[in-house]
Amino acid sequence: MEQFLEIFVAFFRASNLAFGGGPAIIPLVQAEVLNHGWMTIEQFSEGLAIVTSLPGPIATLLSGFVGYNVGGWLGVLAALLGTLALTSILVIVLTDFLMKNSESPVLKGALTGVRPLVTVLVAKTAFDMGSSAFSSLWSWVIAGLAMICLYKFKLHPGIVIILSMVFGIIVLR
Amino acid sequence: MYKKLWEVFIGCARATNLGFGGGPAMIPLIQREAVTRYKWLTDEEFADALAIGNSLPGPIATKLASYMGYRVAGWPGALAGLLGTLLSTFVIVILGDLLIRYSHTAALNAALTAVRPVVVILIAQSAYDLGKKAFPKKYRSTWGIAVVALGIIFMTSVHPGILVVCAMTFGYFAYGRKKS
Repeated sequence: MEQFLEIFVAFFRASNLAFGGGPAIIPLVQAEVLNHGWMTIEQFSEGLAIVTSLPGPIATLLSGFVGYNVGGWLGVLAALLGTLALTSILVIVLTDFLMKNSESPVLKGALTGVRPLVTVLVAKTAFDMGSSAFSSLWSWVIAGLAMICLYKFKLHPGIVIILSMVFGIIVLR
Repeated sequence: MYKKLWEVFIGCARATNLGFGGGPAMIPLIQREAVTRYKWLTDEEFADALAIGNSLPGPIATKLASYMGYRVAGWPGALAGLLGTLLSTFVIVILGDLLIRYSHTAALNAALTAVRPVVVILIAQSAYDLGKKAFPKKYRSTWGIAVVALGIIFMTSVHPGILVVCAMTFGYFAYGRKKS
């Protein structure tokens, strides 16, 4: 039980201080793991390498990996609760409040003001990822093919994702 | 009710389990499920949820999933959305040792290199979709917000949450009180 709490508190602290989504959480989790002596830095880096190659949010993958290694399935539960509980409840309560009052002129104005910003933030994410994703000529070829699949043949994004990975295994290896 | 819960679960599971590259890679996939496929939210509502999500700490994908689930089926829906998002986390726990062995293979590296440009395109598309609703003709100054935000984002390291609060305050004064 003591360990359950310890894991919960560690991930609660890491997640709720990490502004900027999953990637921001990595150094904070690393600090918790090393301070508690749960893993060596090598073990942690090994785990991080797998986590970043899997689909899904980095933060919860990392919680699952560390939680299980420290305290089995109970550890996973503690880590996930720590990572998710507060932010999930907050986002629901705040967004719900916003939507319920979205017809009031005050909030309508505020939302009109924030939407261009959100557009810019998402575009910035694309830009940041793009600056590391286009590492070779092949990346541009893949991008071109992907756009044809998406806009001309209207394939589902998920299918294009899988196709690109298969393409990578065949061509880039 | 059960059908809705299942849809939320499967929608979030599909979005996360194809989201390579952490939370942000999932934004366009969740948008596709929520706006295009199931019509749980409009593009505007999705942008608003994203704004709130961006200003809170913690992973972005789970925040979107829990709000979306809540919207569709209340608190049980939020739980269903979260569980869908966590599917890949359970896989890593169960297959941990096996995955360590495969994490360094050339094939996996090649696949991950190849998927990155696709993720970039999807996110750019997401930005475009959001942008279509973000700049109403009635309020041309919304372009000004975008330009100022771009400048701030690229020149400083101000946290997005602070920008969200500023943009909302500006919006309140610029657009909020005209009608009353």
